[in-house]
Formats: sequence, structure tokens, C-alpha cells
Amino acid sequence: MSELKEIMVKGDEGLLGEHLGVFTARSTERRILRVTQDGGIVSSIMVYGLEEGKFDGVIAAVADPDDPEEPWKPRPVVITDPDEVLEAAGTKYTYCPNVSVLKEAVRSHGCERVAMVGTPCQVRAVRKAQLLPVGMRHVPDKIELLIGIICMENFPYEGLKTMVEQLCGVWMREVAKMDIGKGKFWVYTDDGEVKSIPIDETHPFEGEPCHVCTDYCAELSDLTAGSVGSPDGWSTVIVRTEKALELLEEMVEQGLLEVKSIEEVKPGLGLVEKLAQAKKNKNQKEIEERKELGLPEPGKVHEQL
Amino acid sequence: MSEQVEIQPTTRHEGHGKLVLYVDDEGYVERAFYLNTSAIRGFEAMAKGRPAEFVQVAVMRICGICQATHGTASAEAFERAMGIEPPRDGRLLRELCALGNRIQSHVLHQLLVLDDFVEEEKEKVEAIKRIQQIRKIGQYVVDVVGGEGIHPPNIRIGGMAENISESARKRLYRRLREARELMEEQHEFMREIVERFAEENDLDLDEFGRHDQPFMATHPTYGDPERLDLDRVVEVLPIEYYGEEHKEEAYEHNGQIPLYDGVPVEVGPRSRYVVFDGVDPRGVLYIHILRSQETLAAIDRCLNILEELNTSGKTLAEWEPRAGTGVGVHEAPRGTNVHIATVNEKGIVEDYRIIAASTWNFPVVEKAIEGEHQEYAEVIMRCYDI
Amino acid sequence: MVRLAYVQLAGCCGCLVSLADTYERLLDILDEVELVYCQTLMDEREIPECDVAVVEGAVCLNHEECVEVARGLEEKADTIVALGACAATGNFMRYSRGNEQSAPTHEAFVPLTEVVDVDYAIPGCPPAPEAIERFLTLLLEGKTDLLEPFAKLAEGKTEYCGCDLMYHVVNKNMCMGCGTCAAACPTRAIEIVDGRPVVNEDRCIKCGACFTQCPRTIWPGDDAIKELVMGGEEE
Ligand SMILES: Cc1cc2nc3c(=O)[nH]c(=O)nc-3n(C[C@H](O)[C@H](O)[C@H](O)COP(=O)(O)OP(=O)(O)OC[C@H]3O[C@@H](n4cnc5c(N)ncnc54)[C@H](O)[C@@H]3O)c2cc1C
Ligand code: SF4
Ligand code: SF4
Ligand code: SF4
Repeated sequence: MSELKEIMVKGDEGLLGEHLGVFTARSTERRILRVTQDGGIVSSIMVYGLEEGKFDGVIAAVADPDDPEEPWKPRPVVITDPDEVLEAAGTKYTYCPNVSVLKEAVRSHGCERVAMVGTPCQVRAVRKAQLLPVGMRHVPDKIELLIGIICMENFPYEGLKTMVEQLCGVWMREVAKMDIGKGKFWVYTDDGEVKSIPIDETHPFEGEPCHVCTDYCAELSDLTAGSVGSPDGWSTVIVRTEKALELLEEMVEQGLLEVKSIEEVKPGLGLVEKLAQAKKNKNQKEIEERKELGLPEPGKVHEQL
Repeated sequence: MSEQVEIQPTTRHEGHGKLVLYVDDEGYVERAFYLNTSAIRGFEAMAKGRPAEFVQVAVMRICGICQATHGTASAEAFERAMGIEPPRDGRLLRELCALGNRIQSHVLHQLLVLDDFVEEEKEKVEAIKRIQQIRKIGQYVVDVVGGEGIHPPNIRIGGMAENISESARKRLYRRLREARELMEEQHEFMREIVERFAEENDLDLDEFGRHDQPFMATHPTYGDPERLDLDRVVEVLPIEYYGEEHKEEAYEHNGQIPLYDGVPVEVGPRSRYVVFDGVDPRGVLYIHILRSQETLAAIDRCLNILEELNTSGKTLAEWEPRAGTGVGVHEAPRGTNVHIATVNEKGIVEDYRIIAASTWNFPVVEKAIEGEHQEYAEVIMRCYDI
Repeated sequence: MVRLAYVQLAGCCGCLVSLADTYERLLDILDEVELVYCQTLMDEREIPECDVAVVEGAVCLNHEECVEVARGLEEKADTIVALGACAATGNFMRYSRGNEQSAPTHEAFVPLTEVVDVDYAIPGCPPAPEAIERFLTLLLEGKTDLLEPFAKLAEGKTEYCGCDLMYHVVNKNMCMGCGTCAAACPTRAIEIVDGRPVVNEDRCIKCGACFTQCPRTIWPGDDAIKELVMGGEEE
């Protein structure tokens, strides 16, 4: 049995989605960890996959913190050079239409094995595109790997800006990193300053469309990475498909990933499950309330026209 | 006494057609009418009052087999109307996109005509497989360069929406080299089945389906309005062309009949070879062989373009609407495709005319059928890829 | 074996080309059915009785034969499928207005869904080859529950176009900016600006691909995805 299989545990599939196992991991490369959000799992997989030719293109979100007009505003990119993966590292807490460049990847870039990172809703969008690809000519069979990221909610750009500039008192272009954890929204500046506000204060700026989403762990991904459950600088990884498992095993074998059982770390899997449950409860309630107002249910718009 | 024979609908081609044949006692055709019975969706009328951009997108839907040519001719017409100059690489990519389409369209046509020449199931299946492999590569070109294999949206007024990546360029090159090999085999096959057909039916390849109409073409691989003198083109109503005595047929034909110097002219692969290579193969079955040969030439030109292309070059010119009239000409797989656009200073279309490639050939098909036995009427019609 | 007729009304043949763009799998698909009619592919000149009629193109109400063929389908076919936007939603022919020199009276073009009782409608201009293949497979396997969305779309409540995307997703607070609609749009009419779609009406032809592809409008169910996509079939 591989090292990975030995340490993997299973959680509540009703909350996390079907999976082969969960573990904690981080990249062993400093150059990766320096720029990534948590354990650098997403970026490591992308670099490895491109270097090994498992992917010939990856889709991620790039933002320029120094953009004079809209600092930190992400745009989706197709990356074919492993050296460029790290330019897209790190979480941008605002909508980035990753799926919009999926076709570009298989068209003008000529990619045949694409990996994409995405929020749970984006992973769902791509899965539907594979099942019923009405407007997705020659796309379905070019999707090699879907990397999900755990997501409680996202923010419209101006909402994020308000949180950063007004509530935290930092200019967007001074921001080096943003993070959500331990009940707070954190802003790290280029000068090493750290500001935070309680997560409750960010709620008014959340995108409303996120409130009809009950998927916390990107349940239809090949694998999902998130910060919750693992210590700082580590990622919680949920593996769902054999393909993803094989890839991760290879990376562990080659010493690219350092892994631990999630049962050995704090706060552990329980917190992931708790938050998944919270998202499901809260947003299911929202869906019900919307129904009472006569608003359509997500996924059933066509039935209600 | 001549007898009237009707074949409706004609099969194994795009659109809806009907053949009306007047045949003699032995079944030889004295007079043929090839009528377009499709519903007319009215692209020219639809265009009026709509923005140029919409029209360029919509007209691709004239034909789902050769959309790229309509997209290209339309873009060219608007560019000339508004004085827009597409960048070099945009122009190259546009040619490449339409040639990808030419490859797939030409061999698709070879699939449609298979039943005319091949009876044996195994031989047919092998051919279909090879054709599909070649089509796949042709469509790959259109997908990558044009954005979609069917109705490519990257063809824009001003050039092409985007360039391709360097790795896409290499892949296209490799795939087209594969296509070339397959196409050589396919070309050999086409020559064989055509010759076999002539032999088995005791037909003289040089005489069968011969007509004496002139040939027209503007460019071997792209299109050139300079070589089309619009003053010499008239479009006449069927009733004018066929005359009162054939008014029944005339009224069934949906479409005008374009004439050059007052007579029908043949367009398409054979015309391009006649005009640019100086050959003169008169028998109608030669068109199949020339179409095949032209597919090889299309592949070669694609490879050339890929060598010439700068993948970091600009592909789309910025433009402002401006009043004017422009003519766009593109050599569709089927022949010379002409779009003429008039726009106002806001870029709104005031007048739009289309002479689609097939329409030139409708009256020529009739001439080619006349004098031959009625049993070959559709076989001859299909030489033209209507 | 299922007898299938492919019927072409006022369309461009692009939907059939899309089916042909299954390339090496085309022959397998055709092996699974008995193709009894297809004017572009075979010499049969009359539409015979059949189990399934797949119809491409709009109905021209001013073209007698076109209307006759369309209406006749209810008699001839057990299941009618409107393939592609022209048959399903109307497409750019919503802009047809007649007065073309070639046939000045041809002006009323409507999707098949407005003329006959259509069982399934598949939008898109054209629908992707993989979508047609998936649809036919599910139909042949009798997995009609998964085809429910297409049955709903056949009611032809609207064009399911870029406007509908705005009215029924964005205006209803459900667009999470994934960008799927932009990728799906065959004319590239959609750009995602500030996380939400902007539809360029000059490019939109009302094909319905965006609305149909959006994960928030129609969700096929997680189970179908696990079984048919993640179950290794695509891999
Ligand atoms: C909006 C949002 C909300 C999140 N909420 C939670 C949460 O509640 N709990 C939790 O545990 N984790 C959450 N995450 C995930 C977490 O922030 C990390 O992305 C994850 O742990 C992966 O870390 P990593 O070090 O492996 O990522 P990295 O190696 O840094 O890679 C992250 C990848 O995500 C891409 N990306 C960044 N922003 C976006 C975006 N907006 N849309 C699409 N792709 C993007 C980047 O381009 C990069 O490729 C959230 C992420 C986002 C984008
Ligand atoms: S939907 Fe599009 S591809 Fe299909 S027939 Fe209509 S115009 Fe052609
Ligand atoms: S926006 Fe695009 S996909 Fe949507 S209906 Fe219009 S053309 Fe079709
Ligand atoms: S596909 Fe739907 S949810 Fe995604 S960006 Fe478009 S409208 Fe929004």
C-alpha cells in the first residue's frame, strides 16, 4: 500500500461528497510555498502535470496587485508553461470566470489535456459541460483533471475592495495576500502589516448568488484542496477519483508533497464537516425562502418558466 | 416526342432541389431544369437595418458545410465598405481557416457521392473511415483557427479575433502532414472509382457531361474581387432566364440566376484549375478528380501558411464604422462566393447582396445533364457539390 | 432496431455536419439505429414511418411543402426531436422578415416547437457533436429521465437566449460568474465583466446555447454526472 493510502481517512460523504480519502499535505518546494495560499497543493499539481506532460494546459486565475485601475482583479488564463503556474498562485476572493477560457484552451491553444482549478460551482459547470455539452463542441474529452477548491462564498470585486480599503483600511494595491481563517478575514500588506476584521463583518459583501449553493467541498472534482481543517501552511486534500489518487501518489513518491494524516492535525476533519453542514443548512434555507418569494430554484429554471 | 421526368427531392447534397427533365424516347435528356426548392430564409433582407457585425455572424448560417466562406466573404465586403485593412497575420489565419473548411467540405462531398460509384460495402466503409479521418483534421484546423468547426466566430470584420499559440501551430502542422498522406490515398481512390465508373458504364471521360460554358475563378486558395468584374455580372429572375414557355419551372425555382457576360459560368474546383493552371478537362466527372487534387493543394497551402504565420502578430484591426459599399469575394469549396455590402456611417447595413457559389452552377448543371441519359442526371448534378 | 429519420427543413445542414463531426464514431452511431431517411446522406425520397424523427431547421410558414412535412411528422414519428436552434428555439431566423427577391413571400420562420408537438428540443447552433451523441445514446438506452430538460425546452417557452440568461439567472440573483455561458456561446457574444455576463446583442443569434449550458438554469443531477462522466466513461 502506498504511503498516501495508508494515511488517508474517510469522512462523511453526505457533507464532503463521495471520496476515496482525505489527508493533509503541503508542497516540499519553498519557491511554491512562498507564493501559494496554503499548502500549495493546487499549484504543485499544475506544475507537476505540465512538466510530466499529463496536462498540456491548465486554467487558473491571475491577478495583478499593482494594476493601477483594478488591483487584485483576477482574470482567467490558460497556462502551458510550468514556469508560469506560480504567477497564478494564491486566492483571489472575487469572481473569476475560469470556465470562460475552457474553449480557448482547446481551440487557439490547441490543448488536448486540460486541468482546471475552480470553485465548487465552476467544477459543477464543467461536469455539466461534459455530460450535456450542448455548446461545448470537442471540449468534454479534453478535460484531464478538475481541481476543486473549498469555498464558503465569494465576493463581488467592489465588495472585496470595500472590505479591504474601508473596513481594513489598506489600499488594494498595497495588499500582498488575503485570507479567511480562524473566524476572520485577513489582509497582509507588502510592508508586512497584518489587518483583520471578524468574518461577520464581511457577510454584507458576500455575493448573493453564492447563497443558493450548497456545495462546500467541490463534490464533483477529481480532488479538492482547502485550508480548513489543516494547520497554517498546510492544505486539506479530498481525493475523489482514481486518476487524482494516482497523480498524488506519484507526487508523494517523488518527494514533491509532504503528507500527514488529517487525524494527527488540528483542527482536523471535524471542522470541514461542520462548515460543510453549515453551508448546506444555511443555503438550503435560503433556497426555500426564495421559493416562497416565487424565485426560481437553481438548476430548475427551465421548469419554472 | 419528349417525356417529362421529375426527380424530387434530389438527394445527397445540401439544401433542397428538384430536377425536371425532358427526355427523348431513348431516355436522353433534351432539356434539363435544376430548381432550388429550398425555403428562402432571406439573409439579404434580414441584413437591412442590422449592424454589420450581426450580419457577418448570421450569414455564416447560409450553409453549415461551408460557413467559413460566407463569414470570410462577408467580412471582406464590410472591410472594403468601411476601409478596414486586416493585419497580415489575421489575413493569413483567415485563409487558413477557410482552407481547413475546404478540406473537410471537399471530402465530405466525396462521402456523399460514394453511392454513385461504390457498391461494395467494405470498400465504402473503408472510404468513409478515411474521409472521416481527413475531415477530422480539416475541422481541427477550423476549430483551432476559427474558434468553432461549424460557423467559426473568430472570423471578424477586421481580421481574426485571435492568433493561435505556438504549440497549436506545431500541432496543426503535424496533423496536416498526416492529412496529406491520407489524402494522397483518397485522391488515388477517387481517381480509381471515377475511372472504373466510366469504364463500367461505357462512358467517355472526356465527353461525358461536357458543356461549353465558360469557367470563372478569382483565386486558387482565397478570393480576389479584382478578378471579378461586377459590371459583367447580372442576376436574372428565373422567368427571364427560362422564358414564358417554361414558367412552371421558373416559378418553382427559388433564387435568381447569376450570369457572367450574359451566360451561365461554371465555378468551383475545375474552374480554379482551368483559370489558374490552364488545363481544360471537359468531361464532368473530372470535377471529382480535380476536387480531390485541390484538397491536396489546400493542405499544402495550409502548411505554407503555418510556416509564414507569426503567432505573436496582431490579427484584428480596430475599426470605426464608415459609410460605403464593398465587395467581398471568397472561393468557396463550391466556387466563387460574392457578398456585397452597403453600410451607413453608423455601420448599419443598408443593402446586402449575396451570390452564393452554388447559384452560379445551377444553370451549368442543366447544361451538363443535357445530352446525357436521364439515369445519370443526379450523378452529373453531384459532380458539382451543390 | 430504432428507425430514425433525419429531416431537414429550413436550416443550413450544420447540425448534420455536427453529427458527422463525431468522426470515427459516426459509423458506430449509425450502426445503433436504422437510418431510414436523410436527404443529404441517402437516396430515400419519402419520409417513411419511423420511431424517431430528428429534425433540423425552422418551419417556413409560407412554404407549403415545408409546413406539410413538419405537420406530417406527428403522424409518421413516435418521437420528434428538434435538433439545433433553428428547430428548437428559432435562432437568428427570428429576424427573418421576407421581401427577399428570390422568394419575397417567404417571411414567417418559426421553430418546429411552435408548429408540432415536439418531444425533445436541443438548442445550440449547432449543438455539439458530443451533445448529439449523448442525446441519442440516452434516448436509445431509454434513460429518458435524463432527457427531461430537453423535453422541457421543447415546450418552447422562450428562445433561451442571452436575454433569458439575464432575465432568469442574473436578474434572479443566481449567476456566480463561472463563465460557462461565454465559453458555450458559438458566436462569442458573451463577455464576463465584473463577474457577470454581458451579452453583445450585435452578435447574439438567439441560439440558446448559453442558457442551456449554464449550470444554474438546468442541473442534470449529481448522480448522472457521477455515473456517466466521473465513472470513467470519458476517461
Ligand atoms: C473565493 C474563494 C473562497 C474560498 N473559501 C474557502 C473556504 O471557505 N475554506 C477553505 O478551506 N478554503 C477556501 N478557499 C480555498 C483556499 O483559499 C485555497 O485556494 C486552497 O486552500 C488551495 O490552496 P493552495 O495553496 O493549494 O492554492 P494555490 O497553489 O495558491 O492555488 C490556488 C489556485 O486557485 C486559483 N484561484 C484563486 N482565486 C480564484 C478564484 N477566485 N476563482 C477561481 N480560481 C481561483 C489560483 O489561480 C490558483 O491556481 C477559497 C478559495 C476561493 C477562491
Ligand atoms: S441550428 Fe445552426 S447549425 Fe443547425 S441548422 Fe440552424 S443554423 Fe444550421
Ligand atoms: S448569447 Fe450566444 S449562446 Fe446565448 S443565445 Fe446569444 S448567440 Fe446563443
Ligand atoms: S453560465 Fe450561468 S452562472 Fe455561469 S456566468 Fe453564465 S449566467 Fe452566470
